Amino acid sequence: MKLCVTTACQGHGRCYTLAPQLLSSDDEGYVTIRGGDPIDVPDDMQDLAREVEGTCPESAISLID
Amino acid sequence: MESSVTAERNGTEVTGCPVMHHDFSKTRELGAYWELANELRESCPHFYNKYEDGGYWVFTRHDAVKDIYKTPEIFSSESITPWEPDPIYRFVPTQVDAPDHIKYRRILNPWFSPKAMEAAAPMMREICRGFIEPIVPKGSCDFIEEFALRFPTAAFLTVIGVPISYTDLFTGWVDAFFGGFGGDPEGAEGMARALGEMREFWTEQLAGRRGGPVVEGDLFSYLLNSTFDDKPLDEEVLLDMCTVLTLAGLDTTRAELAYMFHHLALHPEHRQALIADPEIIPLAVEETLRYYTIIFGDGRKVTRDTEFHGVQLKKGDMVYGLVSGANRDPRHWEQADEFVIDRKKNNHFGFASGPHRCLGMHLARREMAIAVDEWLKVIPDFELDTDAQLMERGGGAMMALSTLPLRWGVKA
Repeated sequence: MKLCVTTACQGHGRCYTLAPQLLSSDDEGYVTIRGGDPIDVPDDMQDLAREVEGTCPESAISLID
Repeated sequence: MESSVTAERNGTEVTGCPVMHHDFSKTRELGAYWELANELRESCPHFYNKYEDGGYWVFTRHDAVKDIYKTPEIFSSESITPWEPDPIYRFVPTQVDAPDHIKYRRILNPWFSPKAMEAAAPMMREICRGFIEPIVPKGSCDFIEEFALRFPTAAFLTVIGVPISYTDLFTGWVDAFFGGFGGDPEGAEGMARALGEMREFWTEQLAGRRGGPVVEGDLFSYLLNSTFDDKPLDEEVLLDMCTVLTLAGLDTTRAELAYMFHHLALHPEHRQALIADPEIIPLAVEETLRYYTIIFGDGRKVTRDTEFHGVQLKKGDMVYGLVSGANRDPRHWEQADEFVIDRKKNNHFGFASGPHRCLGMHLARREMAIAVDEWLKVIPDFELDTDAQLMERGGGAMMALSTLPLRWGVKA
């Protein structure tokens, strides 16, 4: 599974707060992978990734199986 | 409430849509505005709310509120209060649209980023303990007067570099402003006076720093040395920025804290859950922002004729996205009408959404998390200290309780 974040990200911070193992923030509060390449989600973090997807008010996060 | 299905709107007929006459500025019983939002959402996806000299469209469900936030090119922030399409104040960057909006946000974002708030957290925690400590042996307090008004104000002033001794001055201005913001004509004069006095204060603060370097921890010296399109920010913009930071930074956190502690006073099982596992406090804060959102609705001005969720909107119309309706819409949420203390998929609109999402959100949620954590460490059990009906300020100005009497046992 891969996870990517589009430029719709407005820096709410709920994704990297919920999953600091997967994501982090830049100096303005946007997720660092905003508008960038997808990242790999380890097998044991797939449920967490689904929660992360569901926590974004901008629907900026998508998962690719 | 529902008078007819047609009405005059700017000389044009509104058809196929209920017309109502709600006043969202009135003080009502605690919880009345969320109940009203539920009723409105379940009775119709949209309606036209008509008042004496005008009216506006209200969209009650999650899908439409989300689309309003996601389409800022159609839904302008020029006015965010639909009952006042041309307000006497201008919040910067709140009421600025693209392309300028993001330039202002990029100046302000780093100051209120999660990293900056992480750095400020130990100081906030110390301030918080300083307010709680003297309250503990008393066994009771008015939570709002003695804590919720003071802690966020002191924390905010410290974060922007203004001495805490100004706390009372600020809380007075903020109260007076929100007395008029929600559309209550009786509050209009106080709102205008508070705006004038705040501007005088900021003018003096800025004058004392002009020409100086950026001083660490001092927002004003930072703003004075910031540039917009390679030019310094002009005086009016600086004052508009300072005003909105003050208003948005002080009143809102007070209100959310009070609703959260009211909930905890009534739910010992949730207090226990947070004491047993403080890691879930941030989730409980988010659920408070969803379930007890203080934003009844969010206004926008329509920039061009368009059809939106079955309604023909005209350029210049005002719309109101019913955030309180969206945040509990069962079409979107599982257990929509339950406070789920560790809810994880929580994409609520309690901080709005889209480019104008709340600048101070990282400060607000950190203040709330610290307040709950520190309070429960020393006052793990508490309850309401009144049988009287608690009242909340009208949703037009954002809901807020005026008092919250609490009591607890004191060890001899």
